[in-house]
Amino acid sequence: MYELEATADMLLRTPEAKTSIEPPGETTLEVVLVKAVLEGDRDVFGRLYDLYAPLVHGILLARVPRAEVDDLVQDIFLHALRKLHTLRDSAAFGPWIAMIARNRAMDFYRRSRDTVEVTEDLRSTDSSISRATEILDLIRGLPEAYRETLVLRLVEGMTGPEIAGRTGLTPASVRVNLHRGMKLLREKLGSREGL
Amino acid sequence: MNEEYLWDKSGKPDPQVQQLEEILGALRYQPRPLEIPRELVVARRRSYIPILMIAATVALALLAAGLWLRMQSQKTSPSSVVETKSTVAPGGIREDVPTPVVANDETLNQRPKKVSVRINHRNSSRNPLTASVSRVKKPREAGLKPNERQEAVIAKEQLMMALRLASEKLNLAQRRTQLSSPANLIRNQHKVG
Repeated sequence: MYELEATADMLLRTPEAKTSIEPPGETTLEVVLVKAVLEGDRDVFGRLYDLYAPLVHGILLARVPRAEVDDLVQDIFLHALRKLHTLRDSAAFGPWIAMIARNRAMDFYRRSRDTVEVTEDLRSTDSSISRATEILDLIRGLPEAYRETLVLRLVEGMTGPEIAGRTGLTPASVRVNLHRGMKLLREKLGSREGL
Repeated sequence: MNEEYLWDKSGKPDPQVQQLEEILGALRYQPRPLEIPRELVVARRRSYIPILMIAATVALALLAAGLWLRMQSQKTSPSSVVETKSTVAPGGIREDVPTPVVANDETLNQRPKKVSVRINHRNSSRNPLTASVSRVKKPREAGLKPNERQEAVIAKEQLMMALRLASEKLNLAQRRTQLSSPANLIRNQHKVG
């Protein structure tokens, strides 16, 4: 993921690429990629997918069962591709797809309520995965504002500034969410004698 | 607890956060290619520029048409305004003024032609010097042909001659009446001595 991001940044910083791809006044990579996709280059959407799939994965992981996450990520990106022309501000692709992911997670529970109760008993035999799933369950028990930020930080490995940049939240609120969420998680872990 | 490490992984690592990262890293996103169906069509973003350009063109055309109509109405309005003023304006009095008419023998007994002049007394009361004479009909002579004009001149000379003769005859008659009454002259004289 980070290799792709670095490649994209290098592309933007290369003078030749800047003059050929980047329109004047538009600085973000998302703007260039979204514009290319809307002009008919569907393959460029793969780069947007590579950049934002971890974000969508983290948002879903904080809300829906882990076994459903991968398929939902694909669905969300295909939906985004169909509706990309409705995105007014190309630079806001991150917040836009994050919102789609949150809405899709809510839809998932609405649909599953009518059909089958989905439980998290698809536990892996791998002990590290089972341990991780246990801690993830604890995080999911936290208030919504904290759990998404904590999953993006601790599971997906994103930094606070990256979370703020991708989700559209202010750095200050991400910092507060991380601090308070971590405090609550420590309390929960301490009571369960984990770690 | 090192908050900076939690925030941007800088500074001294927090052991508990590091341990959580290691454990939860097992659930991290595993790159998987996106399979885009061939039948999926990417809709293009609607551009409002052509619509705006058409709207601007229509608006400009309407504006131009409006200005043209206004200019046309201003060109034709002075006479019509005067017409309505002369016929409708309250306080306007219609006065008949004789025009200079060249009369020939046939036209001697005819009444002089009349031209209607309408004076707006409301305006003249404010500024008599600039009293607006709304409309004066052009005399008919203006449209005479050269031969008609010549006939008119001859007729005028004959009329003048006739008037002179009549005047001389009247003078002669007056003198005769004065001479035929000497008593009156004596009566008017004062006695001398």
